[in-house]
Amino acid sequence: MKYLILGASSGLGRDLAYIFAKNSHSLVLLSRDERDLKTLRLDLLNKFKTKIDILMIDASSKDNVNNFLSTNDELFQDLDGILFPIGMMVDNDNVKNTNETNNKIVQANYLSVVEFTNKALKVFEKKNKGTIVGFGTVSASLGRAVNTFYSGSKRALESYFESLSSTFLKSNLKIQFYTLGYLDTNLTFDKKLILPKASTKKLANKVYQNINKENLKRYYPFWWGFICLVIKVTPFFILKKITKFIN
Amino acid sequence: MFEKKIKSLDKYYSTNIFIKRPDKYREIENISLNADTLITMGSANSYTAASFKKNSLSIMFEKFDRIIDFNKENKTITVEAGMKISDFLNYTLKHKLWIPQIPGYPSITIGGAVASNAHGKSCGFHGSIKNQITKILIFHKNHGWLNLSKNENKEIFELTIGGLGLTGTVVNVEFKLLDFLGYNFTTSIENSTSAKDTVKKINIKEPKEIYSYSWNRADKKNNFGKGFIFKNELNPNHEKKINDEINFETKKIHNFSPLNLWNQFSIRFFHSLYFNYYKNLKSKSFDDSFKNVIFPFIGKEIYFQMFGKKGFIESQILVPFDKTDIFLDEFEYLFNNEMPSITLFTIKKMIGNQNYLRFEDNGICFTFDFINNKKNLLFMDKLDVLCKKYKLLPSIIKDSRLSLETVSTCYENYDNFKDNLINFDKKRTYRSELSDRIGL
Repeated sequence: MKYLILGASSGLGRDLAYIFAKNSHSLVLLSRDERDLKTLRLDLLNKFKTKIDILMIDASSKDNVNNFLSTNDELFQDLDGILFPIGMMVDNDNVKNTNETNNKIVQANYLSVVEFTNKALKVFEKKNKGTIVGFGTVSASLGRAVNTFYSGSKRALESYFESLSSTFLKSNLKIQFYTLGYLDTNLTFDKKLILPKASTKKLANKVYQNINKENLKRYYPFWWGFICLVIKVTPFFILKKITKFIN
Repeated sequence: MFEKKIKSLDKYYSTNIFIKRPDKYREIENISLNADTLITMGSANSYTAASFKKNSLSIMFEKFDRIIDFNKENKTITVEAGMKISDFLNYTLKHKLWIPQIPGYPSITIGGAVASNAHGKSCGFHGSIKNQITKILIFHKNHGWLNLSKNENKEIFELTIGGLGLTGTVVNVEFKLLDFLGYNFTTSIENSTSAKDTVKKINIKEPKEIYSYSWNRADKKNNFGKGFIFKNELNPNHEKKINDEINFETKKIHNFSPLNLWNQFSIRFFHSLYFNYYKNLKSKSFDDSFKNVIFPFIGKEIYFQMFGKKGFIESQILVPFDKTDIFLDEFEYLFNNEMPSITLFTIKKMIGNQNYLRFEDNGICFTFDFINNKKNLLFMDKLDVLCKKYKLLPSIIKDSRLSLETVSTCYENYDNFKDNLINFDKKRTYRSELSDRIGL
C-alpha cells in the first residue's frame, strides 16, 4: 500500500511515517524543510525495508500548493491513502492578525488539505477505494482570543470532513477524522497546560490500527469528547463567564 | 520558552532553567541564534549540572535521534546526537557490530557520551569513545554548521570530544564500529584481599578482550578494600544473537526516596550482604547477559533513590600506574581517620593519552560514591588536596563540587583548552553550571 503524509517531518506526521514504514507501506512524505525530510527518509530506509519518496512543499503558500498539485499528477495515481497531520501555528495569532498572516494560517491548516483532497478524490473515486485522514483540534470547539485563526481553520476543516463523510457515505472511500487534545509536540512543549499531553507515538499507532475502518470520527485522547460535548451544550453566555474567570 | 526546576543526577545542584525542544534543523538555528547563552541537553543523566545553568537556555535534543548513514561493509554509522545509547546498540548489535565504550546507563545520549568522552567498562582494553569517533557535525551560534574530523577543523574536533558541549551543539556523529563477536558474556569472579591487591590483579595484561573491574568494601577500617574482581569475557558464538532489546526507564533513575536511607549501618549491612553473597553463594563463573554486564544499574536504580533528596557525590580519580600505591596509602590513612560514608568503591584500568579536559590516561580509575553530608564533603576536600599533590585526574563530569583550582591544577592542559575554546568562541556562548564552576 502507498500513503502520502502531508506534514511528515515532525510531531505526529513523523510518528505516522514510522508506523506506516514499519508495516512495510510505501510512503510519500511532504514537508517544508528539505533537511528534515532527507534525514527522516535516511532513518526510515536504514530501519525498514520500504520505499520512501520525499517532496518539499510549503503548505502555507497557495502558489506553492497549486504548483505542486499541477506538476505531480502521477504521484496520486497509485496512492491508497492520504493523511494530513499538518498544523501551523504562529505567535500572537489573534483577531488583529494581518491578512497575509491569516491567509497563511488558513492555507496551511485548511485550504491545502482541501486542495490535496480534491486531487486525491479524483483518483480514489475512479478506483472506488482510498482513505483520507484529517486531524482537527479541541481548540476548535470554541472561538478564542489566542490561536484565533488556527482554531478557526481547524473548525472549518472538521466541517469539511463531516461533509466528505456524508458525501461518500455509500462508497468504499474511508473518511476519518481525529479531533486531537493536547499532544506532546514541540508546539505544546513549552506550554503549561491544565490537562495532560498525549503521546504522538500512541496516536500514530491508533491511526494505523484504524486505517481500514469505515468512516470514523474520534477524539484523542477519548475523554476530550466529553469535554467538547460539555462545551457544545453549554450556553455561550456561561462559557464567556467561565473564560473570563479562567483568564 | 519553558521554565523548569531541574536537578543534576547526584542531586547536588538544582536550579531553574529554560528549555526548548526543537525537532527541526531550522529550529536549532533559530533557537541558538536568539539565545545569549545556551547549552545542549541530552537525557540530563549526568551526575553533574553539565547540560544546564541557572536562568539559561538548554536545548533538549531528544528528537534528533535518527540514523543518517550505516555502512555494514565499512563498519561505520552516522547517528544524530540525541539518540539514546540503548537505541544505538539495539540497531548495531543486530548487525553484530558495536562500540565498546558504552557509558553506564542506556538512556544516555550519543551527544552526552561524546561531550564527556565516555569510557565505559572496556576502557582498559579499548580506551575511551574518542577512539571510535571519525566525524562530528556541530551547530554553533556564531560559526554556523561545522564539519569536524581529523582532516577538517581538527582543532575544534579535538576540543569537542570530551569538551562538555562547550563548542556548540553536537548534531550528528560518525563512529567506526567494531565487530561484536559473541552474544553474551561469561563473568568470572576473583577474590581480592585489599585495594592494592585489586590494582595488582586488574593491572595484568590480559591475552584477550576481557573487561575487568572490581567491587571493594569501604564500610569498616579492618576490611577496607576487600572485595572481588569481575572479569567479563565475550562468549564467542557468532551464530547466536542477543535475545532481548535493551529497554530503559529514564524516570526511575531521577526519582528519590523522601529520606536518605544510606548511613554507616545500612552501608555495613549491604556491603556485608553483597560480600557474603558473592563469596559464599554465587558461582565463581557464570553466564551473564549483555544488559547486566554493560548496564549494571538497570533494575538497580533504587541504589540512587536511596540517597534521598540530598543525593550523593561521586568522586572518580584516575591515578597513573606508578602512583597507585602512594595514593592508596594516603587514601586509607585518611579513611581510617575520618571514616567517611562510602556506598560504592570500584576500581578499573584505563588506557589512553590525556589531553585537554578528557578523563583519559594510562592508569587506574578509582570510583567512590559518598553520601552528601558535611563530614564527607570535608573528606572530599582532602581528596582534592591529594589529587593536586600527586597531579591525579579527578573526573569533571562526575564530581559536582570540583573547583576551578582543583581542575586547573590537576589537568595540565586546562589553560590550553580554555585558550583554544575562547579563541574559537570569544563570547563563550555555550555554558553550563559545570563550565562556570571550573572557570570556563
